[in-house]
Amino acid sequence: MTHAPVAARPRVGVVKFASCDGCQLTLLNLEDELLSIVEHFEIVDFPEASSSRSAGPYDVLFVEGSVSEPAHVERIVELRRRARFLVTIGACATAGGIQALRNWGDHDAFRASVYAHPEFIHSLAKSTPIAEHVPVDAELRGCPIDPGQLVELLTALTTGRRPQLRDESVCMECKRRGVVCVMVSKGIPCLGQVTQTGCGAICPRYGRGCYGCFGPREQANAAGLARHLQAAGDRPQEEVGRLFAGFTAYSEPFRSMVTDLGGTRTGRRETVDGGPLGDNDARH
Amino acid sequence: MVMTSSGRGPKPIAEGPAFLARADLQVLLDLLREDGRTLIGPTLDAGAIVYDEIASVEDLPRGWGDEQGPGRYRVRRRSDERLFGYVVGPTSWKKWTFPSLIPLTKGTRDGHRVSFEPAPIDAPKLAFLGVRACELAALGVQDRVLAGGPFTDPDFVARRAGIIVVAVQCTTSAPTCFCTSMGTGPEVTSGYDLSLTELDDGFLVAAGSRVGRDLLERLPLRPASATEQYGAAAVVANVRARIGDPVTADGLHDRLLAQLDHPRWAQVAERCITCGNCTLVCPTCFCTTVSQSTDLTGDHALSERIWDSCFSPGFAKVAGGSFRSRPRDRYRQWLTHKFATWLDQFGTFGCTGCGRCITWCPVGIDVREELNAIAPAVSLAPEAAIVEPVAAAPNDFVAARVLATRPETPGTVTLSLTGTDPAFARGSTGQFAMVALPGFPPLPISISRFLPDGIELTIRGAGPATKALAGLQIGDQVGLRGPLGNNWPLDRAVGRDLVIVTGGIGLAPLRPVIHAIIADRRRYGDVKLFYGARTPVDLHYRDELERWSKQDGIDVSLTVDRAGPEWHGRVGVVTQLFDQAVWDASNMIAFVCGPERMMQATATTLAGRGVPASRIYVTLERHMECGIGLCGHCQMGKYFVCRDGPVFSIAQLGDNFGREGI
Repeated sequence: MTHAPVAARPRVGVVKFASCDGCQLTLLNLEDELLSIVEHFEIVDFPEASSSRSAGPYDVLFVEGSVSEPAHVERIVELRRRARFLVTIGACATAGGIQALRNWGDHDAFRASVYAHPEFIHSLAKSTPIAEHVPVDAELRGCPIDPGQLVELLTALTTGRRPQLRDESVCMECKRRGVVCVMVSKGIPCLGQVTQTGCGAICPRYGRGCYGCFGPREQANAAGLARHLQAAGDRPQEEVGRLFAGFTAYSEPFRSMVTDLGGTRTGRRETVDGGPLGDNDARH
Repeated sequence: MVMTSSGRGPKPIAEGPAFLARADLQVLLDLLREDGRTLIGPTLDAGAIVYDEIASVEDLPRGWGDEQGPGRYRVRRRSDERLFGYVVGPTSWKKWTFPSLIPLTKGTRDGHRVSFEPAPIDAPKLAFLGVRACELAALGVQDRVLAGGPFTDPDFVARRAGIIVVAVQCTTSAPTCFCTSMGTGPEVTSGYDLSLTELDDGFLVAAGSRVGRDLLERLPLRPASATEQYGAAAVVANVRARIGDPVTADGLHDRLLAQLDHPRWAQVAERCITCGNCTLVCPTCFCTTVSQSTDLTGDHALSERIWDSCFSPGFAKVAGGSFRSRPRDRYRQWLTHKFATWLDQFGTFGCTGCGRCITWCPVGIDVREELNAIAPAVSLAPEAAIVEPVAAAPNDFVAARVLATRPETPGTVTLSLTGTDPAFARGSTGQFAMVALPGFPPLPISISRFLPDGIELTIRGAGPATKALAGLQIGDQVGLRGPLGNNWPLDRAVGRDLVIVTGGIGLAPLRPVIHAIIADRRRYGDVKLFYGARTPVDLHYRDELERWSKQDGIDVSLTVDRAGPEWHGRVGVVTQLFDQAVWDASNMIAFVCGPERMMQATATTLAGRGVPASRIYVTLERHMECGIGLCGHCQMGKYFVCRDGPVFSIAQLGDNFGREGI
């Protein structure tokens, strides 16, 4: 017919950088769809699932994890060359992940306190999202990613349409599902207003506040929310900063909130080399 | 003592207030359930009094009340056993009259064939228990918006019909209430079947409809004492006094629309998170969007309608960007719609003063404060009501077949479609169709020609959906819904000189105008077409342009931004073509189509040469999904562009034409 899928039976790779593998497991957990997926996609490289490997080229490459080691920087550039369509999956790949909290700290001090021989540890001072290194065609947010969004992306790829990954607040999903707002009715701080939807409002559904694992939505008024939480909730500045210091802390505007309000363990004033966001090169 | 019509003769108790003991309320619930109805009523859940399915009086929030303020809600134990001793909570009845998700259409693709099967409407038999005055008003607003205009929402109509409404008079209020200002409460006065006023040990009951009287006659009632009647009236009067009159609704429409450039819009946008909570808790907000899902083959698609919000960034987006890109634009859109342009469109405010948007705004923005800051009270007469007759919505998508394809320019193709819905035979110049392939979002596309048994559509393949349409081959099918929108006012051009100004693919919606003129050339005066394109190959309908000029008596002037070696014509923007034109503006009418900035520049030039604003017509682009003024996306001031336009005179649009963020 007339549509333009990415390829007849796209060659798919699934690779990882600094991450916990949870997002790849989301793919493996699609038990009802797996047979149909392998019918429509040729999975050529997926070390988490199979020992048969391929170095590409890939029609679609799913990338999990953040760039966290010097070797990662070259590897992602090389993988990008071999991928027609590159999709980052999860908070690590799209935002730098929880490990990006070190971006506000003293990298050398961390290494020295954790490892007996820190000289063997080749890590970068900052954990950064894939998009900071190479162009990215699509991203699936979350820690971990949402299985429904993954299936939506796959079906969009087979039909050649734009995947429907809504850019709106988590609140919209709460309200559609009739979830009572935890912030208004219980005073629990919630990042749902500034966070991109896609999770199905899972945390508020269980009576807790959203901690922003899908990252900031477009034009997220994080500063407005932070001001309100400080003023109305009578919360100290660091406590509000800490709300943003989660899995997607390194994504703007959450990043500015963490930097301006504090809230990481070491605090912003204890960092070195031109401030908390000094670049990697300064250290390596 | 049980009173029935047989026991009381032809004048039953419905004539006067009666008393129902609290212990007997279950009888009413049982009557409703025996009628095969699902009962929806208040119940305590997750720290709030929500509306949900209930089975018995035991499910009601006995002895519970609430405390509310901007951005704050807590349930509180009362010192009594009242069942309705709370104020409105986070749920509104639209959850049942206008659910957050309904299936719309199943689309199927089978080779070249496509089909669209509308989802059956599944309207359960319901009874609402505990509807407040502001909520009755909200149901009334929904009736006007979704069932009272030129197009109706069949799903709403089916769900709303036959719901039994048991109203409850407010005996308590919250600091967020302002029904008194909006003229909707606190007194329950109409729109209910039964009303209850809760007293210490029971209810004063009154019927508001024949259904209500029938129910009332089957309840174990006794006549209400004078003390009870007086007490019931007094408690509601107290509520009115407590709420006061926080917003002056008189003249609010004009005061608010006079303040579109007020600095407060930017200030409130600093606080507003644009999360959309206010719109989804609002009992009258009706905006929706359609989401598509497909299986991995792409052959089976399901489209579902979900609640949407004008606060979400994608709401007013079109291919080139958003018409309301800044949060301040979105807050202004929402507030001016609720308190001003809603009146123009539906003859009523979009707000009933229930206060939900104040309580459930996570950062506690209070609309009353914003209104009083932006549009402080002065005395002005309110606008007259407009209620249009009920009409049926156009059918669901009907498959049409591609008869021919013709490339127009690089990236643009004209599809000739046949087997279209008979409605298209009655279509008119300037109208559009919603065009769908299973799995892709339907797109509004101008009709570029009317054929005896079909239409032509000219499509530029920009995004995936337009590329899929532009790639259709002869024999392929595509879904069409329409024709939609209004038309170019050709009748006003009869006997006048007509100037048509357009660029690129903007000629598509004007092409039927030229066809209509040629078909009856003598009825019109001088007809000039000023047409621009980026390069010579971007000129559409080139064969026709030549024919129009040489044979059909149309004065065609062309210009391009960048000429090639083959081009010997004009170079420059289209408005420059006017410089050489000689015309008599007193008898002239102009039709303009292009990007909004080009249309503004053209309108300014035309006005400068003496063409009155009431005779300069433009066609607007907006984000459109439903095409019939029900989804809300294409709103511009008091208009829905899809339904009231897309063709407007500059006079109609006034200051809103070209204003940022409208």
